[in-house]
Amino acid sequence: MLLFRSEEHVERWCRAWSLPRGATLSPETAWRLARAWYSADRRERAWRRRTVDETEALLAGLGLTGPFWALR
Amino acid sequence: MDSDDAEVDFQVRAAVYDSVMTGGAAPLVDELAAQLGLARGQVSAALERLAAGRALVLQHESREVLMANPFSAVPTPFAVRAAGKLYYGNCIWDALGIPAALGADARIDCSCGCCGEAMSLAVDGDALQPADGVVHFAIPAHRWWDDIVFN
Repeated sequence: MLLFRSEEHVERWCRAWSLPRGATLSPETAWRLARAWYSADRRERAWRRRTVDETEALLAGLGLTGPFWALR
Repeated sequence: MDSDDAEVDFQVRAAVYDSVMTGGAAPLVDELAAQLGLARGQVSAALERLAAGRALVLQHESREVLMANPFSAVPTPFAVRAAGKLYYGNCIWDALGIPAALGADARIDCSCGCCGEAMSLAVDGDALQPADGVVHFAIPAHRWWDDIVFN
C-alpha cells in the first residue's frame, strides 16, 4: 500500500506498472484502519490473528465493503 | 501442535515484538536462542510455525525475521519516528500501524509512490494530523497474503 499525492498520481502509477486500479482511502481512513488493525499488543499471550469473520466485521465497521474488500 | 510448541511460539513471538517495539530492531535467530535459553533449531522451528500462521514474515533465504507487522526488520521507504526511535513500516498502512501499536505520537516520512515527491504524515495524541494525499491498495483484500512482500 502506497501513499500518493493525488488520485491522478495513482492513475499514472497504475498505467506505468500496467496494474489495474485498486481502492483508495483518505489518510484519515487509513489511520483508522491501522489503529483498528494494529492496536492489540502482539506481545500478549492472548493475541491471535483475527478470524475471517472478525476481519470482515472490522473492515465493514470502517465502511470498507464490496468486492475489493471481501475476504472470500 | 503440542502444548510445548505453543509455549515456545508464544515466547518467540513475544520476544520478537518486544525487541522490535522497545529496541527498534528485530532479533536474529541466535539472539532469540540466547535470550530465551532455547536451541537454535527450536527458535527456527517456532519462527516457521509463526510464519505459517501469518504472525510473522521471514526472509526468503536466511529465514530471519523480515516483518513483524506492522514493523519491518529491514529499512524501507516508510520511515517512522516515534518514542525517540526510528522504525520502518512495510507499507503506508503499516507505517500508520506503528504509532497505533506503540500508542505513541509519530512522524512518517515517505514519498509519493508515483513521482517520489516527499510526503509526511503525523500522528499526535491518537489523531492523524490533517494530511493531503491518497492511500492506494493495489491488491484486493482476499489476495493480500498471496505475496505479502509485494503487497
